Amino acid sequence: MAAILEFRSVGFTFGARTVFRELSFCVQPGETVALMGPNGSGKTTLLKLAAALLRPAAGEVLVQGRELKQWPRRELSCCVALVPQHLDVPFAFRVEEIVAQGRVPHLGFFGGLRGDDLDAVESAMESVDILGMRHRIFAELSGGERQRVKIAIALAQQPQLMLLDEPTQHLDLGRQIEVMALLRRLVERGITIVAAMHDLALVREHCSSGILLMPDSPALIGPVHDLLRADLLQRAYRVERPGLDRYLASEPARRR
Amino acid sequence: MFTLALPALLLLLAVFISAGMGAVKLSPGDVLRALLHPSAAGDTGVILFSLRLPRVLAAGLVGAALSATGVLFQGLFRNPLADPFVLGASGGAALGGAVAVFFLPSLTFAGVGATELLAFAGSLVAMAIVWKLARAGGHFAMENMLLAGFAIGTMLNAATSALELRQEATNPGTRILEAWLHGEITVPSWTQLSWVAVVEVAVLLLALPLARQLNTLALSEEYAAQLGVHVDRLRVLVVVLGSLLTALAVSLGGLIGFVGLLVPHFLRLILGPDHFRLLPASALCGALFLVVADTIARTAFAPSEIPVGMLTAFLGAPAFLYLLNHRPRSASL
Repeated sequence: MAAILEFRSVGFTFGARTVFRELSFCVQPGETVALMGPNGSGKTTLLKLAAALLRPAAGEVLVQGRELKQWPRRELSCCVALVPQHLDVPFAFRVEEIVAQGRVPHLGFFGGLRGDDLDAVESAMESVDILGMRHRIFAELSGGERQRVKIAIALAQQPQLMLLDEPTQHLDLGRQIEVMALLRRLVERGITIVAAMHDLALVREHCSSGILLMPDSPALIGPVHDLLRADLLQRAYRVERPGLDRYLASEPARRR
Repeated sequence: MFTLALPALLLLLAVFISAGMGAVKLSPGDVLRALLHPSAAGDTGVILFSLRLPRVLAAGLVGAALSATGVLFQGLFRNPLADPFVLGASGGAALGGAVAVFFLPSLTFAGVGATELLAFAGSLVAMAIVWKLARAGGHFAMENMLLAGFAIGTMLNAATSALELRQEATNPGTRILEAWLHGEITVPSWTQLSWVAVVEVAVLLLALPLARQLNTLALSEEYAAQLGVHVDRLRVLVVVLGSLLTALAVSLGGLIGFVGLLVPHFLRLILGPDHFRLLPASALCGALFLVVADTIARTAFAPSEIPVGMLTAFLGAPAFLYLLNHRPRSASL
């Protein structure tokens, strides 16, 4: 089976700073991939490259074996959905109106919602359990509620690959667990997930494989339990060993 | 549909009543009779067809253009404070138009006066500059947008005033320019009126599909791009169509401020923020608003008139300050 997402020797620079050099990896359908690395290591950049919001300076990015350049934009939007870290809406749009925006790549020239579009919006809202807040104004929602709405937009796109940028950031413990359980249900429905994550406990519990971006050396790619090793994390996150060991030791306790 | 039928009906009514008001009072019945039998209308017909109706219709066209531009620019800048006057587009159009009035008074291209064309160019250039300044650093800061609009607008108004002073005694254009600077709707010719109406309706129809895309843009430029909206193309089209509408409005009524801010804001409270519903409703309600406002401006202090721009400033500036103070938490991008 073709990889759903593949990076081939991808290079990317921001001005004078090289973010990636020769980055290569494959994501297979059905995987839940954690994207890890310190702040500024390029997690968001990688997700944007995969969603074709940025173009690689070198190498190529493929979705379902087809290079991104060859995907018509709207067709790609029906296959790959990016859930960004922040969503701020300046006007008083209601939740259902926001979720309906996920149908935009599926719409015809005049842009009206048809029956199957309304069904997709409805089922997206149902999946993340926001039917009850459909008439509320998005700008007035809490962080956890907003996160669910953002995932609902992505679900309305009916994608096969969902890219999430720190989906648990700024959420309390309960909301974090809720979001991760939701992602697990999406995987069961056949959606492949690549998520930038900071919380290694959640990564260990929910993700099958990982990409660990290192500040100065090539990224490490592999099963999660191979990546979450003290020596690798020490190099990636540049932390003192005693502090890191205490963090890793306390992790199982936090999980149970 | 009701949201469009009601303002359309009120607009029709306002045009009738307004056409009857003035130094010579005409009842709606007189107006109707004159409209049905123009040849038999006599003096009433002269008043109606060469003075009242052109002015009332001009006010309607100006109000519709400014309000629709407000909706378009607010969607584009993702900010309820964007208005062609606040952003300096009106100022640019006035300067462009002034250059034409003074230096190229007899120039026309295919029946379109140099005034309108240069007004369009002026508002386009002003918008391009405000856009560049407001976007410094890759994203908008609301403060930058407002300050850039203020600075450009002030400069253009000063340049327009300078042109006005330089030509004071010698040029008939001075009177036109004075009216523009005060935001005074002058009585247009039927030729001017009819082609402004045709262009305006065409532009509004073209803008309608863009209004849907502005809803997606409300999420963010990146989100819109991710959802398959051609953001760059959308941006250029909105600026071009908005500048065109601004130029049409300025060519008929000069610098009339805050209409594009008041009307969409009021409608958002009733209809919600959907640009696709707001655009036609704003055009109709903007027309209604300015027909009423201009009628007040020319009759309330009879026998003298005040420019309608003064009236909208008195209403609009406080609304602007209110919006500035009550902006949503996320308005600064």
